[in-house]
Amino acid sequence: MTAIDYLQFVLAPQVVNGLALGVAVVLVALGLTIIFGMLDVINMSHGEFYAIGAYAALALAAAGVGFWFLLVLVPVLMIPLGMAAERLLIRPVFGSKDRHVTTLLVTFGLGLIVEDVLKIIFGANTQRPPTPIPGASEMFGIILPNYRLFLILVGAAIVLGVAYVVYRTRLGAMVRAAAFDRNMAASLGVPVSLVYAGTFAFGVGLAGLAGVLLAPIYSVFPTMGRDFILLAFTVVIVGGMGSIWGAVVAGLLLTQVQALASLVISPVWTDPIVFGTMVAFLVFRPQGLFGRLGHA
Amino acid sequence: MLQISALHSHYGLSHVIQGIDIEAAPGEVIGIFGRNGVGKTTLLKTIAGWVKPSQGAIRLGGEALDGLTPDRICHAGVGFVPEDRRIFPGLTVEENLSLGLLQVKGRSSRDEKRVVEGIYDRFHRLGERRHQLGTTLSGGEQQMLAMARVMVGKPRLVLIDEPSEGLAPMIVAEIFAIVRELREQGAIILLVEQNIHEALSVADRFHVVERGQIVFSGEAENAGDRERLLKLIAV
Ligand SMILES: Nc1ncnc2c1ncn2[C@@H]1O[C@H](COP(=O)(O)OP(=O)(O)OP(=O)(O)O)[C@@H](O)[C@H]1O
Ligand SMILES: [Mg+2]
Repeated sequence: MTAIDYLQFVLAPQVVNGLALGVAVVLVALGLTIIFGMLDVINMSHGEFYAIGAYAALALAAAGVGFWFLLVLVPVLMIPLGMAAERLLIRPVFGSKDRHVTTLLVTFGLGLIVEDVLKIIFGANTQRPPTPIPGASEMFGIILPNYRLFLILVGAAIVLGVAYVVYRTRLGAMVRAAAFDRNMAASLGVPVSLVYAGTFAFGVGLAGLAGVLLAPIYSVFPTMGRDFILLAFTVVIVGGMGSIWGAVVAGLLLTQVQALASLVISPVWTDPIVFGTMVAFLVFRPQGLFGRLGHA
Repeated sequence: MLQISALHSHYGLSHVIQGIDIEAAPGEVIGIFGRNGVGKTTLLKTIAGWVKPSQGAIRLGGEALDGLTPDRICHAGVGFVPEDRRIFPGLTVEENLSLGLLQVKGRSSRDEKRVVEGIYDRFHRLGERRHQLGTTLSGGEQQMLAMARVMVGKPRLVLIDEPSEGLAPMIVAEIFAIVRELREQGAIILLVEQNIHEALSVADRFHVVERGQIVFSGEAENAGDRERLLKLIAV
């Protein structure tokens, strides 16, 4: 195999697959990091919201709803769910002293319940929705699956859209202000309770959207959130807890490391490399790559 | 009209505000003086809703404010310039100002723009730095921004906590000029200040707080009252 062949048939597809996974992880990590940056809550049920999104897409597709409509419908349906979770589980314990531990445990419990409910309703079997965009395209002699290309584009658009709202609009200024100093923001007229609930629900909606988008690639099963959330947590820690750009950069970098490492060493080593990076960051640079939402 | 009556508040078990009564009319500046730790900041925080009053009433223009959340209190017409200014470091000067605009609901974006431009005309240094992050401002500029941020909301009551703290005398003079402007707009101002001399130059009346209670009230113009005040404050 020549160097060009290697580039064309091994390296490039691997980079693109890594990119698709990277975008997927970023979508999940984005909700996680926004919720943390805003509410200081580590949402342990985030992976299960991702699973709910995937199952909702599956069920609605079976009922005849088309994929394109699902991309809008599922996140919109997830928002009231997120609002309810925030109102019923987070807000009641938000004022307490040990709310970090309490919210972590409460959301962890919620995640376990959701897993079981999904199992009861849909069964434990793995299901795989058909690829919404079949086929592949050739670019520069590299053959790439269409759906993965689509995922990369949609993911990039979502990340840019979220960043635009957060960093360029008055609503985003309200969100950053409330994330930094709740009381001061409120005293200027920011409806902080609503902003908190809205942020949580928005993060949940993003997880649901990720579920819809990723189901055709990574399959659907009740514990699907678990594997994914580990990687997402790593991304959030490396990028900086509560940092949007941190999640993006760390998500893309770590998945590339994973993808490329598996070309040169046994794939069993990719997890130790990724999670080793996380541990190294926790020890040597616990604040992560980038600063937290609302902080300079 | 501001009416605070029999106000109490606590931090946990510690009883900080122990029955305070204050009345003020539009355009009045009320100085709140007292030694360190007597509860001046807590009084303002209680009015702003950061600390829930445990007893008593706060009414502004007949509307009850006690027990409301800080954002509702803001919308009722209360502006708060807390100690340490609390400028949002990750927001630009303009974004910090734009949050102040939220106090007035239903203003068109053209009106809002005009208000903000008015602020930049009045405070050139804020205008020049409108796209800089809040953290890059000097202490004096941050204090101006904190006051301007409240000004754009046209509040009926403004709570100001030690605005001159840590600032050079020239800047202090500017800050007190802003207090006068707010008064001229017809706002009621509660001014907590250690710089008694400057504060008395803008205040109409004052209250001296000790251990969470008002122990003396006087008129800023009255020489006898001023003498009494200095005696009470002297360490
Ligand atoms: N968050 C808090 N929790 C518990 N106690 C507090 C808290 N903030 C202030 N206190 C206490 O309440 C009392 C009043 O504090 P406050 O800050 O209102 O005083 P102050 O008059 O503003 O003082 P200074 O002149 O130093 O600013 C003090 O004894 C202080 O230690
Ligand atoms: Mg104080």
